[in-house]
Amino acid sequence: MSDSAFRPAPDEEEWEDLMRQLQDQAQGQPRPFFYNRVSARLSSRPLAPGRAVPLWMLRPAYAALLGVIMLALSGDVGALRPAPAANPATAPDSAQPLRSHSQ
Amino acid sequence: MPDSPASTRLPDAGMADAEADLVAELQLGSEAAFRTLVARYQDRVYRTAFSLLRTAEEAEDVAQEVFVEVYQTISRFRGEASLTTWLYRLATSRALKTRRKAQAKKRFAHFTSVLGFDNAVLHEPPDHAHPQALLEGQQQLQLLLDHIARLPDQQQVVFTLRHEQGLRYDEIAAVLNTTVPAVESLLFRARQTLRKHVQPHLRYV
Repeated sequence: MSDSAFRPAPDEEEWEDLMRQLQDQAQGQPRPFFYNRVSARLSSRPLAPGRAVPLWMLRPAYAALLGVIMLALSGDVGALRPAPAANPATAPDSAQPLRSHSQ
Repeated sequence: MPDSPASTRLPDAGMADAEADLVAELQLGSEAAFRTLVARYQDRVYRTAFSLLRTAEEAEDVAQEVFVEVYQTISRFRGEASLTTWLYRLATSRALKTRRKAQAKKRFAHFTSVLGFDNAVLHEPPDHAHPQALLEGQQQLQLLLDHIARLPDQQQVVFTLRHEQGLRYDEIAAVLNTTVPAVESLLFRARQTLRKHVQPHLRYV
């Protein structure tokens, strides 16, 4: 009876050998003092679990939008609009003191 | 939530008790327990990340992030999965995320170099060059690593957890939150693809 009946095919042997090489090369370790680096990373982020500022606030677009909304609600948004063409007949008297301040 | 602990079989009673004790201490904020956790699992977490990224720097970064996340979210850990399963799950999902970002960056760099926006050379540097694989007679291993890196994410995770980390099918199923037959199917397809690409080269070595 031939031994070949009990042996895996050559391809199979080579494949198994390759799998062993693969497992051997996967035995790396992190550099020494790994815990110290994890600890340093943790202490550099004290706000992570309960952040004082919500994440969306960190996006400039949302922050700018919030600023515009607050400005609109405060009533100061009129100050940003260009002044309408002056009509002496309808101009309110309150405009007069402003003009005098500009001098 | 893909990273949340899910139901899984615990490794064995003794280990499960040790893990439960460790989790209880971590939830009380014990620094000694956290040090024990890192010492006990750092190699497994690092190797898992390395097997998906193939660079020591990125693997270390992912491993650090995994432990930071564990520290910050351990209060929400309910013990429905084993701690080991949860760590493997965090390591694989973070490593895949890191790899996707790196691939996107690489594609963008290639795109800009093709358009001539920078003076970078157009040839791509060799990827996944493991020092051992560069030695004489290790070409097959390098070829295998190259093709593992090209597998779809799920197949790659299953293949590396099985053949590099030595996990059992049920353990891999727990990490991926799937069934054992699904793991077998993914592994079968991964092996089939890899053998198709690597086997012809084996015959002539």
